[in-house]
Amino acid sequence: MPDKNNPAGSKQPMNRLQMIDITKQFPGVLANDHVNLDVSAGEILALLGENGAGKSTLMKQLYGLYQPDSGKILINEKECHFSSPTDAIHAGIGMIHQHFMLVSNLTVRENVALGLKSSKQPFLDLNTVEKKMMEICDTYNLKLNPRAFIWQLSVGEQQRVEIVKTLYRGADLLILDEPTAVLTPQEVDEFFLILKKMAQEKHLIIFISHKLNEVLAISDRVTILRDGRSVGQRENKNLTKTELAQMMVGRPVVLQYDREATVVGDVKLKIEDLWVKNDWNEDQVKGISLEIRSGEILGLAGVSGNGQRELAEALAGLRKCSKGHIEIEKKDMTKASPYERILAGQSYIPEERNKEGIVREFDIMENFILEDHDKIPYSKHLILNFSNIATATRKAVDDFSVKTPTLTTKVKNLSGGNIQKLILARELNRNPKILIAAQPTRGVDIGATEYIHRRLLKQRKEGTATLLISEDLDEIRALSDRIAVIFEGRIMGIVDGPTATAEKLGLMMAGAQEEIQI
Amino acid sequence: MSKKFSIMILFVCVVMTLLSVPVLAEDEVFQVAMVMPSKINDYSFSQSMYEALKVLQSEAGEDSFEIVYSEDMFNVADAREAIRDYADMGFDLVIAHGSQYGTSIQEIAPDYPETAFAWGNGTDFFGLDNVSVYQASAEQGGYVFGQIAAAVSENGKLGVCGPVESGDAKTYIDGFKNGAAEAGAEVSVTYTSSFSDVSLMSAAAETHMDEGAMVLTGTSQSIPGAVSVVKERDGLWLGVQWDTIPLAPENVLVSLVYDWTPILDEIIGNMAEGVYGGAAYDLTFENGGLQILWNTENLDIDQELIDMADDLAQKIVDGEIVPLPAG
Amino acid sequence: MGNLFSTATIFGIIGMAIRLAMPYLYAGLGELFNQAAGCFNLGVEGIMMMGAFSAFYVVYQTGNLLLGIIAAAVVGLLMGLIMSLISVTFKAAQGISGIGLTMFGVGLSSLLFKTLLQGTVLSVSGFTPIKIPFLGDIPYIGETFFQNNLMVYLAYCLIPVCSIVLYKTTLGLKIRSVGQNPQAADTLGVSVIKIRYLCVCIGSILAGIAGATFSIANINMFQEKMTNGTGYIAVALVYFSGWKPKGVLFGALLFSFVNALQLRMQVLGINIPSDIAMMLPYILTIVTLIFVQSRDAPAALSVPYERSEN
Repeated sequence: MPDKNNPAGSKQPMNRLQMIDITKQFPGVLANDHVNLDVSAGEILALLGENGAGKSTLMKQLYGLYQPDSGKILINEKECHFSSPTDAIHAGIGMIHQHFMLVSNLTVRENVALGLKSSKQPFLDLNTVEKKMMEICDTYNLKLNPRAFIWQLSVGEQQRVEIVKTLYRGADLLILDEPTAVLTPQEVDEFFLILKKMAQEKHLIIFISHKLNEVLAISDRVTILRDGRSVGQRENKNLTKTELAQMMVGRPVVLQYDREATVVGDVKLKIEDLWVKNDWNEDQVKGISLEIRSGEILGLAGVSGNGQRELAEALAGLRKCSKGHIEIEKKDMTKASPYERILAGQSYIPEERNKEGIVREFDIMENFILEDHDKIPYSKHLILNFSNIATATRKAVDDFSVKTPTLTTKVKNLSGGNIQKLILARELNRNPKILIAAQPTRGVDIGATEYIHRRLLKQRKEGTATLLISEDLDEIRALSDRIAVIFEGRIMGIVDGPTATAEKLGLMMAGAQEEIQI
Repeated sequence: MSKKFSIMILFVCVVMTLLSVPVLAEDEVFQVAMVMPSKINDYSFSQSMYEALKVLQSEAGEDSFEIVYSEDMFNVADAREAIRDYADMGFDLVIAHGSQYGTSIQEIAPDYPETAFAWGNGTDFFGLDNVSVYQASAEQGGYVFGQIAAAVSENGKLGVCGPVESGDAKTYIDGFKNGAAEAGAEVSVTYTSSFSDVSLMSAAAETHMDEGAMVLTGTSQSIPGAVSVVKERDGLWLGVQWDTIPLAPENVLVSLVYDWTPILDEIIGNMAEGVYGGAAYDLTFENGGLQILWNTENLDIDQELIDMADDLAQKIVDGEIVPLPAG
Repeated sequence: MGNLFSTATIFGIIGMAIRLAMPYLYAGLGELFNQAAGCFNLGVEGIMMMGAFSAFYVVYQTGNLLLGIIAAAVVGLLMGLIMSLISVTFKAAQGISGIGLTMFGVGLSSLLFKTLLQGTVLSVSGFTPIKIPFLGDIPYIGETFFQNNLMVYLAYCLIPVCSIVLYKTTLGLKIRSVGQNPQAADTLGVSVIKIRYLCVCIGSILAGIAGATFSIANINMFQEKMTNGTGYIAVALVYFSGWKPKGVLFGALLFSFVNALQLRMQVLGINIPSDIAMMLPYILTIVTLIFVQSRDAPAALSVPYERSEN
């Protein structure tokens, strides 16, 4: 428990943390298999691994959310047991989750005070909280308005709240779970400065990531997990991306794709001065105009929440446009239904794949024919033909290497990467003229990502006009012929894909205008 | 899951078996079944009929007169099933004690010509010769009570707490208004749109009393709410349908009691002669079905008042007074 | 016919609204606690009936009003424990388990009424109005506001108490965070389960007391189903309130005021069909509900909490 007058606490500072031989079994899955981890004060340790490699499970045991089946956790060489997050917090461990653990209708200072004893117990003493919180902000150069509501803050600011919240509780050790996923490149730089400052102040930092660039940029050491085991612990000296990727995936991974020159053809999708409202009836897309041609990938870069979602939904026919036009092959489709757009040859990979892309309770075959179930060969005279469906699904599952025990497995039991591959199989199976891909690799492991990227490039070669909406700049740069940057619902500029630099794109993502070059 | 389900089925079966035991009663006994919307002790419409049956039972002896009843049958669909079940079990007389049961009787009665049906507050026997209908000429009592209330009120203000604007509640209230108006009193009426909202009924009574009315009347099973207010504020209450004196011995002046025994006697008498229905019966002062029950035990009531009421009742019997103006 | 705008009438309507609002305040504030922590309790009606019966029975046997209230609170607590066991521990769907609890409470109170009191409507002497010195002597105002029974005063005192608990204490912060984002609360060492149990129990105790006000602080008798849907109205009031104690007060008063007004209009012979008059408060509630949208709506309302696997 942090001392009232000194948020950093008067307990013994943590110098070293070790996790030794940690094993954790879930029904059917060995999530952690004799995993070891070691971090000292002033050090930034990167924990690298694909989704499902056991990073989160390991950290949740450190944070007291789960208890290990076997193995030891040592702090300053003394064994500790955490049966709840409270125990971990008391021991000086703080965790910043990938999905922020903030209560959106509470203020910043209320979020900071949550769960702590107050100096005026049982009454809240928010002014004292605010004062101490601002001291922390000053120490680490964090800019925050303590009385703002969380829902008023940008994602970057929310992350700062998480950091302050953790430091306020006197954390020596900070666990950061994929902290950069939601930040612009500039915000990432700023965030790294904060991390380095914290390391200087003798904090211990565990940085969970699957982004190789960032791991190399910030960490002192790297621990790599694969399939629940620790497969390597390296000093961050002379490490290369290729080496890390291979350890992470277990086989050589291609990080750079050959983008063959293609013949760019006619305009397939034309968007003209499009205005779309969000769920709160505010303009979110404000006059976007884009043209996408056959055989090209247009990347739409931007920090999430700048209108990408609304634009994608408007293009899919799921959201009404308040102004402007959408044309598919020179035909006005502004008011067309999703079904009409599918018939016109457009495929859509939604951002929320679990909610919009699939029916979780349906099996693989059923999900595969969702859009075409009423057509030959899947059905005739309103009767489904299961043998044809099974044949087609089997072929698609094999083609797209969807890993599943059977075709009748419920989709909710597949991993994120396999679900995404199944959606991709369904959408590309129709050989679309236009493909709208919203965040196609978010939350997907590096192996599956590589596979999905290859398929998108193959589709490009076959003449599909692709709109790739992504927050992952590396992905956008690796795949796109041209890159449009969206900020607050407007296109800041369109730049040539292969030559765009992260810095330039980053500035545009933060709102700097670029001269339009088409 | 399936185990739970089978336990439930078993349970339901056991309950059904237990419930069906009365079917096995012998033939010599006269069996009456009654289906009612409220309860046998509602101080109101249902209680009046139940008590009448009890009187007949004590006259005939418990061994030869059996009464079975279903309470709380406000839901017409449930009631219809109950009526059909009783007919199916071979009951001699099935009483459907509520105007809402009409369509059920019309549907079921033709299937059971050996059973006599009686429909309370009914309007029509549908030309069926095994259906009788009975209702109370509540306006007669209403008229007399209107006069009584006007006579005991000091300021000429009267309050009426009604449930919904229909049925015998309405005819009673209309008669009451007419009687009170002829005696020069001012009547205000509230309807709560519910037979059971006790709390709103008490609020209604409170409102009447706030506006100066100290003499109140009302019908439905929610009137205990109103009576409690009258008791608390020391006003006077005139009860209808059943004896409400026990609710507030110091404050209930008089009750208009429905005595169904004469009508039941007639229905059952006809059955002995092989006539199972095809008739309509009215509860009136004339046939002794409407009775005025004074609370002389607890209150000091002026004999003149009692005489006046008897006189009015007689005049209604004689046709000198028409409780409800035509139209 | 009387005048709706006479001073006496206006104060009469207000006075009645103040009294009619009492059960809605107890039950509504109780439900507010439930919902603030993310538990949707549709069992209020059943808890109220059990509270009404137990309070009545205890007062009928002992004549002690305080014991009656305590009995209602204890029975409410027991019902709350059942509700939280079902919905928090076993994570059952809250809507349907609440309806089940209501049916259980209404049914059991009827059964007890028949077995313990032979189903006879009896009366007891309940809480009597207390005139507050000096204030109670002010013409009209005194009679309207300062001559009510203890339970009425307590109901209104409960509003600031709830406000303070929810917004000014560390416990309140925990409650609101559990209703909004239980994962966040859990990671900060707040026990979601404990807070939810606590809130369901507080809410149920208040619902029990709300029931008791019917049988020993208003009508002073017991009849089956006497709460007649008040519990459901209380649930609606919480939505109406935008999840704030002040809102519950406002909603309860508005509802009661319209009810008192329509009764008064009927008594004064103002010619509106009684069915329309009776519908007024409900229509008003529905219309308001359509327009009420609040950021304070607990995001995790009626979602059972489970630590996720990832």
